[in-house]
Amino acid sequence: MSRFKRFIPLVLVAWALGAQNASMMINPDVRRVGTKLACLCGSCKNTVGDCQMIGCGYSSPARTEIVNLVSLGASDENVIAKFVQREGIKALAVPPSSGFNLSIWIMPIVMLMLGLYAIFVYIQRYRRPAPAPVTVAHRFHEIAAKDLDGLE
Amino acid sequence: MENLGALALVLAFCFAIYAFLGSVVGAWKDKPFLILSGQRAVYAVWGLVTLASALLLNALLTSDFRFAYVAAHSNREMSNNFKFAAWWGGQEGSLLFWSWILATYSAVVVFNSKNKLRNIMPYVVATMAVTQIFFLILNAFVVSPFQMLAVGKGITSVPDGQGLNPLLQYWAMQIHPPMLYLGYVGFVVPFAFALGSLIVKQPGDAWIHTTRRWTLVTWMFQTCGIVLGAGWAYAVLGWGGYWGWDPVENASLLPWITGTAFLHSVMMQEKKGMMKVWNIVLISATFLLCILGTSLTRTGLVSSVHAFAQSPIGPYFAAFLALGVGFTTWIILARLDYLKSESQLESVMSRESSFLFNNLFLLASCFAILWGTLFPVISEYATGEKVSVDAPFFNRVNIPIGLVLLLLTGVGPLIAWRRSSLDQLRRNFLWPTVAMVVTIGALAVSGIHHIYALMSFGLCVFVTWTIVSEFFKGTASIRAKDGLGWPQAFMELTHRNTRRYGGYIVHMGIVAMFIGFTGAAFNQDTTVEVAIGEKFKIGHYEILVKELKDGDLPNYIWQHAKLAVWKNGEFLGEMEPERRLYKASRQPASEVKIRRRLNEDLYINFASTSEDSKKAVIQAYIFPLVTWIWAGFWVVLIGTWVCLVPSKVKREFPKTEVVGIATKDNVPV
Repeated sequence: MSRFKRFIPLVLVAWALGAQNASMMINPDVRRVGTKLACLCGSCKNTVGDCQMIGCGYSSPARTEIVNLVSLGASDENVIAKFVQREGIKALAVPPSSGFNLSIWIMPIVMLMLGLYAIFVYIQRYRRPAPAPVTVAHRFHEIAAKDLDGLE
Repeated sequence: MENLGALALVLAFCFAIYAFLGSVVGAWKDKPFLILSGQRAVYAVWGLVTLASALLLNALLTSDFRFAYVAAHSNREMSNNFKFAAWWGGQEGSLLFWSWILATYSAVVVFNSKNKLRNIMPYVVATMAVTQIFFLILNAFVVSPFQMLAVGKGITSVPDGQGLNPLLQYWAMQIHPPMLYLGYVGFVVPFAFALGSLIVKQPGDAWIHTTRRWTLVTWMFQTCGIVLGAGWAYAVLGWGGYWGWDPVENASLLPWITGTAFLHSVMMQEKKGMMKVWNIVLISATFLLCILGTSLTRTGLVSSVHAFAQSPIGPYFAAFLALGVGFTTWIILARLDYLKSESQLESVMSRESSFLFNNLFLLASCFAILWGTLFPVISEYATGEKVSVDAPFFNRVNIPIGLVLLLLTGVGPLIAWRRSSLDQLRRNFLWPTVAMVVTIGALAVSGIHHIYALMSFGLCVFVTWTIVSEFFKGTASIRAKDGLGWPQAFMELTHRNTRRYGGYIVHMGIVAMFIGFTGAAFNQDTTVEVAIGEKFKIGHYEILVKELKDGDLPNYIWQHAKLAVWKNGEFLGEMEPERRLYKASRQPASEVKIRRRLNEDLYINFASTSEDSKKAVIQAYIFPLVTWIWAGFWVVLIGTWVCLVPSKVKREFPKTEVVGIATKDNVPV
């Protein structure tokens, strides 16, 4: 440990940031509720329930809060509402399915449907009519007939 | 000396303008000497950007901290490898790196193609030159890598630099960004040829034949870049995730998806003369998404852990993108008459149809990712309220699409070109479907009830069956005909049509990667505080903390835990995960230890010590099947290399010529 002493100020800052306690432990309550809440640390796109980043400044206290609220008897909805009340709807891992934010789910489906329709139109437009085309054989017969006419 | 780099960039900018003007005016006024001088200006741009890059590298390697960029992104104790990697480790240097790759590609294209497609080449050069002009504007005038640290009237230096971000001081990070850039920049070339072909109203598929290998190599680089990035995230970030749906990760995936769609749909144009407009749209979208991806990392439009420091380059990228979208849309609409299909779809039950659906679902995935990535910005603009769009959205939308794409990967080889009869379909689909159903049933009986996992494993078996049967039938046929052994017949088969069989190998790699992705459904993790001499359990593993040690190196101080690991009572060995504190940047980083096996990885991260420093906080994970992702990547790479080998049998694709419609009156009897 002696070499650490030379860097005590640095070590204190960085190690303290990294120091963890039981608050970072993920129990079933944290996993269940936390996966519906976004980690707002700004460094990842994980949820509070599965963020494993070292010393995460958002998820660790958020988990502690979830554990505390659940132990006080709060329902999952109440816990989530508490976060939304404090942080706004950005606290949710996925925007609520209402109003303009509903379009996040609708637009991919709409685009897929438009694509299917475009394929349908393409097939209708470019599909060859049902009767089989007579290509080489027909032309061969024509040429042969012409040649035979010439011979006569 | 310190101004030479900046001067080289300004001169390169002037030559790039000349390359553009010389080529366009030369082609317009039919002045070959102007066209030729425009092409030579491309070489001059390469020389000057190379000189600027060499000067920056020299400054990095010699720790010349008078340069602001060097002081911000390197320090004396960094190894030369990482000093070199600092070239692309920051905003200014990475833009110079972009320019240098583009200059190199442009020079190679001019050298290789100057005597081919003479009518298109001036516009190819002009398109590449316009892109180069844009990046040189940024390099020379907006975010120059040659800014000096000036105090008063003099230039001063600092004793040591801040160093490269510790998370980037990992071997894969020396390769991942160059690979991604080689991919991003490489798509400029097929786009330039496509645009050139549109401008001169070039009939036929010459631009596709000329750029097919180029596109494939570029796609391969992009694939390497993405997978190396995933490998880096897995091994460095300390949480075992290889894909986090971060905006910058998504940005690299978008052009890869459209590029993949292009590589498939281009076969329709080559074989049937169909989907010409679509192919132009796809390659244009790929290029523009490359530019969008580059801008997302740099403009701060969306927040990302990967983003460079924000700088005033956002409006420049927006203007360039708007120009690109506007011009490309206009030229495609103006040339629609030259892009008509030469033949028709003969049946919905055909390989052609499967390509249409493959493209549809690839594009649907691309749109969903782009939409999810930009939605926080769009929503804030529309409603005034910030929202988060995290991994649950991307997974929920992309997993079903991915499964459909996996299904289509297996369906493609089972359907013939032009048309398949119902009898053929029944015969071809029977055994792969039986194998899929049996697999799903067996897995369900064995206790796996995760619906997506069951579907994914079942489809993996379905696709594997179809591909292996393709190889088996072809190999057996050659073996019977030519009397070769199995390995020789297999090689002969592959060599006869490298594109087809190389493609199948790529698909096998994708199947292996899907197996790896599916394993994520069964991940396990635990985080524990354990004192020396204590044990903890995860899955079948039992782990003992034997010792905690620390040490000091010039670049960082470290602390590691020595752990003994048992599985089902059998001693497996010791693992020593480490955590580091980089002195220059004062940033911590972790060196995880991973026991990699085909069935599962045991992943240990020494996260920290407890508040009283007497216990280690260990994060332990079991990641089933994750090694299949990396193995699949190698298979994809091998398949791509096979595709690049010229086929032994040169194939012509005669397009079906419709000379008449049979009616009861004209059918010859």
